[in-house]
This record gives sequence, structure tokens and C-alpha cells, in this order.
Amino acid sequence: MSTIAPQFRLSRFIGSLFDIIFWVILIFSLVGLPIVFIILFYIKMPLVNNQMLTPYLAMTWMADPSRTLPIIKSFIHTTLFHVMAFPGFGFAALLAAATIFVERKFLAKIQLRVGPLYCGKIEGILQLMGDGLKLISKEIIIPAKADKPIFWVGPLLFVGTAGAFVSLIPVARGWVVANPTVGLLAVFATIGFFPIISVLTAWAANNKWTFIGGLRALHQMIAFEIPLILSLLSVVILTGTLNLSQIAESQQHYWWIVFAPISAIVFFICIIAELERIPFDLPEAESEIVAGWLTEFSGMMYGLIQLGTYLKLYAFAGLFTVLFLGGWNGPMVWPPFPADIVTNGITIGPVTAKIAGLPLFDQDMLNGTLWFVIKTVGVILLILLPRGVFPRIRIDMLLHTGWYKLIGLAFINIFIALGLLYAGVLGPGGLIQ
Amino acid sequence: MVDAVFLALSVLTIGSAIVALEIRSLIYGSIALMLTLSGIAGFFLLLDAPFVAMFQLSVYVGSIAVLILFTVMLVRRELIFNKIEDKRRRYAGIGLMLALMLGIGMVIIGSGMKSMETNSPAVDYKKIGSDFLTYYSPALIVMALILAASVVGALTLARREDMTNDQRAN
Repeated sequence: MSTIAPQFRLSRFIGSLFDIIFWVILIFSLVGLPIVFIILFYIKMPLVNNQMLTPYLAMTWMADPSRTLPIIKSFIHTTLFHVMAFPGFGFAALLAAATIFVERKFLAKIQLRVGPLYCGKIEGILQLMGDGLKLISKEIIIPAKADKPIFWVGPLLFVGTAGAFVSLIPVARGWVVANPTVGLLAVFATIGFFPIISVLTAWAANNKWTFIGGLRALHQMIAFEIPLILSLLSVVILTGTLNLSQIAESQQHYWWIVFAPISAIVFFICIIAELERIPFDLPEAESEIVAGWLTEFSGMMYGLIQLGTYLKLYAFAGLFTVLFLGGWNGPMVWPPFPADIVTNGITIGPVTAKIAGLPLFDQDMLNGTLWFVIKTVGVILLILLPRGVFPRIRIDMLLHTGWYKLIGLAFINIFIALGLLYAGVLGPGGLIQ
Repeated sequence: MVDAVFLALSVLTIGSAIVALEIRSLIYGSIALMLTLSGIAGFFLLLDAPFVAMFQLSVYVGSIAVLILFTVMLVRRELIFNKIEDKRRRYAGIGLMLALMLGIGMVIIGSGMKSMETNSPAVDYKKIGSDFLTYYSPALIVMALILAASVVGALTLARREDMTNDQRAN
């Protein structure tokens, strides 16, 4: 007898399940299917097995395995899938969510604590899901004197900008959502929006803590944007392109961190400052100004900001990987798809199933993704590490670091890169290719 | 498609420019100004000049609009603005703007720019760079000198004797 639901009867529960299934099937077949077919007539259908897929054949993939995989394959290469799932939002959000959990356990291990422990029996592995459910179910409280439109739009804009940043990061060869010729400039344009959103939401909340935090965020991000841009110039000089895919492609034999180590260090410090992480977490210094510019956010609005922050973390780590650590380049370690399955099919007892279009992803893409993820996770762990080690620094030290030291350091490597270029060692037409 | 995007961008840019001028709240005015500047970046994208568009976004929206926002937030409104409500001024302004636009339009149409080539390739940013260093190098040098002079001027203006640091050291 349950104490939570004393009136519980298993038979009624199962009956209600059947009830729901009945209504879902009824409504789907009467309303959903006609709508699906009307929509299908307006969608460009793929070519499957040398036969144009018509809306009349569209549902046959459910029963016909020789059509299923080609349809999935053609779906994978659509923009919709790129944006929603693989190199875009879904993939990044998965990595971001994993980062939140890993950060808590990792910091706990550094500081000899245990971290999340109880939720989900094994090392608190379900803690994140519980936190997410809590954030979704919490009430959203808007302060009475807040400027409501800006306050509501702020978190959405933050996640949107972080998503735009994520869309520029190439994961494997040809697997990138947006691939403009001026990709690096697009990155600069995108990260320029973050301070605006911080300071506007901070002002809109009408609270002194948020406003102080917002002004600090503005100061800090603007101070570190310039060394960030300057530190990437050496890579641009060495590769002669602004396209991120081409920059990653140019590192097949050696990584740019070899020739631009100072740039890499400056860029890494700027990443930490732009992400407002310890030791540069003054905008949300929780022991001084409650939670900085996030103070008034509650429920899922806070959740959205948190999601945006970790998407941004992933995007910056991915950018570091693409620019300095060779992107997707690495030795081929992914095993090739067994050829006899493609030619002979899968034999299970007496039945031989020959499935069309079987290597769903090619080996090159899987291997590239593997190396990209390994390197990015390494960079993410390096970004997380200072939080367990360093204290927060003072704002004048922070601004001094940004405006004086890092800009000077960034220039050093620009001159090194120019020297290498004019000496004919590197770059287009250089000795080392 | 391009026509629809062009129309939408025009409505966004001009509408938010009018909002930026007319709205009471300074913060909303500066947000509308940001929208205007972003709309201009959109025009550059339509004109196949992504390089200029990205610089428009990162310089105008990312820096200048932030500075305006910053100033608006930190300075009290009564100190910088002297409100003059005058209908005739507004109509004079609108008339002046229309006259100016008509004049510029006449000049442009009269100069023979009546047709546009729509399917030319996007401008390569490397070409812009090499042009700057060869044909337009005097302009580049003059720009660099102006920027350097203004940076030196800003540093001179911002310099002050800082007493608090000495006290802290003691």
C-alpha cells in the first residue's frame, strides 16, 4: 500500500493507460495523418533507391527496411537535422549538460568532497535530470518593478546567441551548420552580443546586485574581447583564411599551438574571462553581490541562462580546438565498417537480411567527430580546472590583465607569425606545408 | 525571396530608427538603435558583402551601441537633455529629411546608376586587404594617424592624479 497514493489500483492505472493510447491513436489517425500528408506535399522529398519518394510512399519506410536507412541518411544531411541534432543544438546541449555534471564531480574530487551522490544510486548520475525537472517545475518570479519585456526576452536572447555561436563550430569535415567565408569574424560579431544581453537584463531586473553584476560583466567582456580578437590574428595570418573549416583543414600535419603558443595562452585566458568563470567570475561573485546579474532569475529562466552559459563554454572550447588543436584531424582510429555486411547482408540463422545504404556515417566523419570531442572535452576540463584551484581576483587586477598584459602578449605572437610568414617558413607557399 | 527580405529589413531598419528617435525611454531608444544598425548589417549581407556586415555587427552593435547604452545607464537624464517640445521643429526635420533624400536620390539617378548587376560574386576580403595596402595606402595611413591621435587624446583626457593608490600602498 503506497503512502503517496492510497487510492492507487493497478487495474485502473492500466485501464487509464489504454484509454490514453486509444485517444492518441484516434486523434492521430483522424487529424494528425491528414496534416502530415498535406505538409508532405510541400516538402522536397529525397531520391531513394533511384526512385523519387512521393508523399504516397512516404509512410512505407516504417515497414520497408530497404527504404528506412536511405531516408534516414537523406534526413541526416538536411539543414534541419544539422541545426537541431548533430553539429548543432542537440549535440552541443548534450555536451553542455554532461559538462555541468562532470564539473560538479570534478571539482568535488579536487577539493576532496564527494559531490552529487544520492540521486540515481551510482555517483549521483541522475542529479542533473533532477535539477532540470526542478528548474522546469519552479515558478517564474518577475520582480514587481522590473522592466518586463527586456527581462523576459533576455534569457531567450542569451540562449539564441549561444546557439548562433555553436552553429559556427565545425565538428567534422563538412559537418558544420553555418560555414561562411568570414567565419571567424562571425564569431567576433556573435560574442559581441553577450555583454549587451548581460547589461540589459541586469538593468531590467531593477536590483542593485544585478546592476553591479551587469556593469562588471560589461567591463570584463569588453576588456577581454580585444586581446581575444588579437590573439586569433596570428592564426589568421598563418593560414591566410577566416573560414573555420579551412583553418581546421590546414592543421593536418601540425597544430597551430606549436607556432602560436602565446596566442593560445592569451586566447585561453580570454575564454575564461568571457565565460565569467573563476578566477574571473566577478559578474556573478556569489559572496559579494548575491549572484550578480543572474540574481533575479528564477525557474526555467535561470535554467535557460545556465544552458546558454554551458553552450557558450562548449563553443569556446570547440573554437580553441579548431584554431589551435587541429580540429577534427587525428590518426584514423575508428574501425572501418565491415564490408561483407554491405555486400552479403546480415545472416541470422536461416534468414539473410540485405539492408540498403548501410554505412550510415562514413568512417572519416566518425573519426573526426571522435577526435574533435576528445580534444574539446580536454579543453573543457582545463577551463573547469581553475575553479577548484584559484580565488577570485579584484576588478582592477582583472582590467589591468585585460587591457595591458594580454594585448601586449597577443602582439608578440602576431609578430612571430609575420616573421614566419615573411621568412617563407609557413603560410601559403611556405617551406612546411 | 530577396525582395521579401529586403522589404522586411527596410521596415525593420526605418521603423526602429523612428522608434529610436521618438520613444521616451532612453534604454528602449538605444535598443532600437541597435536594431537599426543590425538591419544595416542585414543590407550588407544582401549585397554579398559578409565582411562588411560582420564588421558592422561587431563594431557598431558590439561596441558603439554598448557605449551608448553604458552612457545612458550611468548618466542622469536631466543633466544631458534639455527637453524642447515643438511641433514645428519636428515637421521642419521631416521636411529637411525628405528634401535631402530626394536630392541624394536625384544625384544618384542622374549619375547613371540606374541598373544593378545582381549575380556578381561576393567581394573577396583578401581583395579588400590588398587594395588597402596598395591603391588606398595613403587613405589607410591617414586613418591610422587620425586613430592614433584620437587614442592619444583620449588617454590625455582620461589621465588624472590617482591619490588612492598611494594611500593603499602605505
